[in-house]
Amino acid sequence: MKKRILSLVLAATMAVGTLAGCGASAKGDQESEKGSGPVSLTVWHDGDEAIMKVIEDTANKELEADQISLKFEKKTGLTDQLKLYGSDEQNGPDMYLYAHDSLGTFAEMDILAPVTDFIAKEDEKDLIPMTVDACTYKGTQYQLPLYFESLLFMYNKDLWQGDVPDKTDDLLAYMEKHTDVQAGTYALLNQHSTAYNVAPIINGYGAEIISKDGKAGLDSEVYKEALAYNQKFAALQGDGDYNTIAQLFNEGKAQAIIGGPWLVSGIKDAGINLGIRSLSSFTLPNGKKLAPYSGVQGIGILKYAEDGKKEAIGKALKALMKPELGQELAKQSNCAPANNKSYEDQEVAANEMIMAIKETAETAQPMPNIPQMSVMWGPAEEMLAAVNKNGTAIDEAAKTFQQKAETAIKDMQ
Amino acid sequence: MNQNKRSKQWFYLTPSMILIGAIVIFPILYTGYISLTNMSLYHWKDFKVIGLANYGRALFKLDEGFLSALATTLLWTVVNMVLQIVAAFFIALGLNAPGMKLTRLYKTLLMVPWAMPSYVSILIWRVGIYNTDFGLLNKFRAALGLSRISYLAENVPAFLSCLVLNLWMAFPFMIMMFDAAMQSVDRSLLESASLDGAGFFMKVRYVLVPAIRPIMLPPIIMTAFTTFKQFDIFYLLTMQKGALTGSTLQTIITYAQQNAFVSNNYGLSSAVSMMIFVLICLFSLYSNRNIGREDEIG
Repeated sequence: MKKRILSLVLAATMAVGTLAGCGASAKGDQESEKGSGPVSLTVWHDGDEAIMKVIEDTANKELEADQISLKFEKKTGLTDQLKLYGSDEQNGPDMYLYAHDSLGTFAEMDILAPVTDFIAKEDEKDLIPMTVDACTYKGTQYQLPLYFESLLFMYNKDLWQGDVPDKTDDLLAYMEKHTDVQAGTYALLNQHSTAYNVAPIINGYGAEIISKDGKAGLDSEVYKEALAYNQKFAALQGDGDYNTIAQLFNEGKAQAIIGGPWLVSGIKDAGINLGIRSLSSFTLPNGKKLAPYSGVQGIGILKYAEDGKKEAIGKALKALMKPELGQELAKQSNCAPANNKSYEDQEVAANEMIMAIKETAETAQPMPNIPQMSVMWGPAEEMLAAVNKNGTAIDEAAKTFQQKAETAIKDMQ
Repeated sequence: MNQNKRSKQWFYLTPSMILIGAIVIFPILYTGYISLTNMSLYHWKDFKVIGLANYGRALFKLDEGFLSALATTLLWTVVNMVLQIVAAFFIALGLNAPGMKLTRLYKTLLMVPWAMPSYVSILIWRVGIYNTDFGLLNKFRAALGLSRISYLAENVPAFLSCLVLNLWMAFPFMIMMFDAAMQSVDRSLLESASLDGAGFFMKVRYVLVPAIRPIMLPPIIMTAFTTFKQFDIFYLLTMQKGALTGSTLQTIITYAQQNAFVSNNYGLSSAVSMMIFVLICLFSLYSNRNIGREDEIG
């Protein structure tokens, strides 16, 4: 009898236990929402934790007097996390820090509040206009830009012979002279079949992967011209895989590489005598400058957080856009700040890489932030791989992948 | 069975039923529901039921590209299964040969590919074996004075590269299964056959294979399923974002992923998922029916 009762109790406990996690939980960190008292704001991110620590510490120092604190939490796969929790006030964050290119997706989901609900437009007068444009979708600014990234020309000063040319044609001639693919030694390496890395040429030719109104542009004549020009470089750049080119450069088998600031720590660890040039300083055969994409890291605010925390969020945003925060980001994490005034600091102005990124901001184009872009990377990169690696004719590839891109865009609806 | 006893049985089963319901049944039903709606990025909060329209669109996706992907998948499954079964059978036979020394060592070494996470194995092969600059194959070619080639840029070499990698990863399971099955065979049967004058191939064909067939059918069917729905190897070796190799190989799963799951159109993606689910259910029913027949014959 005892055994029977025990087994019944165990079965009941297990049944209840299985459902225990299904209940809604109150948000633990909402110490105070309305009125006085300390306010804790949760910020989700998917970035480098060291960079987030700099932002968190610097902003919290500034906000201490107002009893407001920011709490950064890393969430891998942030886009998917926000799709799940972006409308869930109990479990979702108050704000998020992420690259601007997902902005259109979140805005269409109607989970974001405009930044201008919290701060005045004139508060942003010191921000680099390109970064503000990047954070704007359909005329509304949904993110506050903090720092930005773009591709750079990085070269090994000990290996590069002579001056770095200003014209891409001269660069190509240098590559032809100093590359031996069979021996595995290269003049310049790039991820020649990755759309982000070929964007400097595509944009420089005036072509577009996708237009602002969401039309795929893979079969336009200028796009095909840009790909034909990139193909000449690709033939001298080996496999073009990210890990391969980074390793070749770090091993001294490549004299130069097109890459982002994220490569710098590895390059320095490898003991490379690094020189940096902005891609905006290279001129294409059509007389235009190379125009890479820029990725802007900005803070977005979830719509539900507006209710009750508006004042605290407004103060937090003002603290986040202070030039001092940008300076700390530049000094401690090698990030290029979105605030123009941050560059007035001597130490920041002396940082070769940061100043090269700032220079690039003159010609850089923000990555498109419309939702359709998320389905364009696939066809655009497949087209590059087909042309550069598989030997497919550009016209044939343009036809195939334009059609694929159009279908993908249509499937979104 | 009285009513009280039956109720108690159901009560004891409740925790498992809730668990199975929550993690198996509910997602399938919910996917089925979403497949009937227009849920997408543009209808995130205001989605509504639109009937079978998504299924119509999903069927439209069964185009030339899908048929080619289906053909590749079938070829991939057949070639893999034939090679795995034949090679694993003979390796297991070798491991069970009387007088064979160090069998435990061989068995342990053969298990190594299985012990490694597939993600790691695939990336190691991609960089360590197939890479144009650092890969072992191109290092050999360079040592012989031959030019470097990209093994993953065109479809046939890419298919063969994926095949070799899959065999490397799948052999341990199949060898272990054959080994276990062979160890369960009564040695006296093989000895009797020898006394009756049967040679090696006669013993294998008339004694060993019939004895291990009922044991091997479930793992073979299971492996066939795994091979049929293979995604990791094709994706990580040839179509990883930012590292495309140029080959256009597609299996039905990679095709579905590329054509339906990147669109943020959850209604359409769910309809494609439900269709694949039904396809696999039919495949499973067919296989189970065959197992049933084997059992009846056995």
